[in-house]
Amino acid sequence: MQPCYSRVSLLLCLGITFVVWFTILFVIITVPAVLEVSLGIHRFYIRTLCRVFEWATLQIELSAKQKNRQFSKPHTKGILSKSKPLSVQENMQELRSSAHSRRSEPQFDMGDVIYFCRKGVESIIDDEVTKSFSAQELESWNLLTRSIRRFPHRGLRLTLLWGLGVLIRYGILLPLRVILAVTGIFLFVILSTSVGFLPNSKFFLGEKVHLMGYRFCVKSLTAFITYHNSENRPKNGSICVANHTTPLDVIILANDRCYSLVGQVHRGLLGLIQRAMVKSSPHIWFERAEVKDRHLVAKRLCDHAADKTKQPILIFPEGTCVNNTSVMMFKKGSFEIGCTIFPVAIKYDFRFGDAYWNSSKFGLVHHLLRIMSSWALVCSVWYLPPMNREEGEDAVQFAKRVKAALAAQAGLADLTWDGGLKRTKVKDAFKEEQQRLYSEILLKVHQTQKQEKCFEDETPEGD
Amino acid sequence: MGAAPTRIGQQDPELVERTGFSPEQINNLHKRFLQLSGNKDTISRENLNDIPALAYNPIKSQIIEAFFDKRNQHDSEVGSLEEITFQQFLMVMSHFRPPTLEMTAEEKEAMRKEKLRFLFNMHDTDGDGKITLEEYRKVVEELLSSGSIEQESAKEITDAAMLEVASTNVPHMGPEDFYEGITFEHFEQILKGLEMESRMHIRFLDTATVHCGKS
Repeated sequence: MQPCYSRVSLLLCLGITFVVWFTILFVIITVPAVLEVSLGIHRFYIRTLCRVFEWATLQIELSAKQKNRQFSKPHTKGILSKSKPLSVQENMQELRSSAHSRRSEPQFDMGDVIYFCRKGVESIIDDEVTKSFSAQELESWNLLTRSIRRFPHRGLRLTLLWGLGVLIRYGILLPLRVILAVTGIFLFVILSTSVGFLPNSKFFLGEKVHLMGYRFCVKSLTAFITYHNSENRPKNGSICVANHTTPLDVIILANDRCYSLVGQVHRGLLGLIQRAMVKSSPHIWFERAEVKDRHLVAKRLCDHAADKTKQPILIFPEGTCVNNTSVMMFKKGSFEIGCTIFPVAIKYDFRFGDAYWNSSKFGLVHHLLRIMSSWALVCSVWYLPPMNREEGEDAVQFAKRVKAALAAQAGLADLTWDGGLKRTKVKDAFKEEQQRLYSEILLKVHQTQKQEKCFEDETPEGD
Repeated sequence: MGAAPTRIGQQDPELVERTGFSPEQINNLHKRFLQLSGNKDTISRENLNDIPALAYNPIKSQIIEAFFDKRNQHDSEVGSLEEITFQQFLMVMSHFRPPTLEMTAEEKEAMRKEKLRFLFNMHDTDGDGKITLEEYRKVVEELLSSGSIEQESAKEITDAAMLEVASTNVPHMGPEDFYEGITFEHFEQILKGLEMESRMHIRFLDTATVHCGKS
């Protein structure tokens, strides 16, 4: 009897301690989320993590040196060295100037092939689009399981540390975050629906409820966001554009002020949340059939933007998630509407967890779990000053201008490639363009040769 | 996923010798190979076709064929492969490696011959060791746009070029003589003056000098 009692009481003690500790953590996080108060714990957390990562990298380098192996650093800057990009014409001049000075050399055709050959092989080795759609590489190890294979020289201490990290992340952080997320969504749906029944101060209270919901989400992801240039925060009656890395971008931005979201109506849990949201705040949800009708979409956006009291619309013009090292082509639809555009740049710090959603590799739920089991989601948000379409500028040029400003602020590469290339192929029109350029050069040479030949024929004495 | 990428360079010192790349470069190229193949062991023509930047290139199909051409594997076999492994990928890439300072004149000459061989193989599609007028015309046609330039002009340019080539080889050829085609030796001679070493190599980023600080 005695051992039985003591075992039961031991279990009871453990259980109680666990629950108490969990509740304390829960309260510490929930209360500030609801009341908009910060406790400063996060700075301490981030600093500690940084120090641990630095120590880990040092250990790896030391152990690699001891075992006399190469510690190859990843090619985060690309494989090829970037020289000034020359046009087709300039390259041809260079190529021909090295040939004989004799006229009508047959080399002009043979040698030119070399230029295109080299360009082709260079694109095979390193091209911007494939790079932008694969996850970024880290320079130091951040103790996550995902990047463990790249660092085989770990040593005992690091492996233990990594094991501890796994325990903490999957045992403590993940369940805590999931519980928080569920509580947050639950509270939000209830409050939002109740606010929807109030006749008058619907939107004012609705905003407060939305902000609370987003704060909960942010806490549940352990996201640490720094907002820069808050004086440029988007105003009512405008459109806000941002670069897209993950669906959680919405939560990151909406933590600071409320936006009207644009999207398709979903079924299930997401549909429930959408319906709850729309009761207390004006969002633009489209039925699946309406999405195909571009004019309808444009009209609804226009109407919403024209009303200066309504919240700014949040749009991601790239149309797809990109891995946060570059910005792809902005689709011109949102720039045709004609109201003020507030660009916002988001840059994630990859040391604490990879935020990029590679939709061809894993689904949304898997992606959320990955983020929730990383250390943290650290990012910076820059608000850029508002931009308007200038005289004589069309939507495409305006989009390019906005994109350049955004890329410059966040330190991302500014690419002209279309994000749709994730799933489709390049149109033949681009190849035609290159062929046309080369043809012009060749034609010019051919014409001059013909003329010179004619001239020679006319004056047989020559010089 | 197979062996960890960091080990390929060390595992296979033979690769280093045969292709002339450093272990560092081999590792980077292996990562790129996995990216292109979708983490599989072989690459097919489809994988290379999917690269957007390559779609801009007029001679895209010739370049892709060059990767699957057995002649570029430093074998004496002729024909083409369906899929290539990483070793074969590296062998083709080795035609584009940059010349190092410690190379002797002999080695430089050998490298030049290699690059010329690559170009020759690209033109000579049926593998008979000669570039005929037809084969040559095909390459030129690919380079020229079918839209803005008439067929006549394209034909003129090709014929003029071919005539020049023929006349340097067989000086007193009449219009009825049948010209068999450009052989490799003749090809070498034609491009004698062209400085290929700097035109036909890939400039690798020197990763040793990249400072690995905090991101």
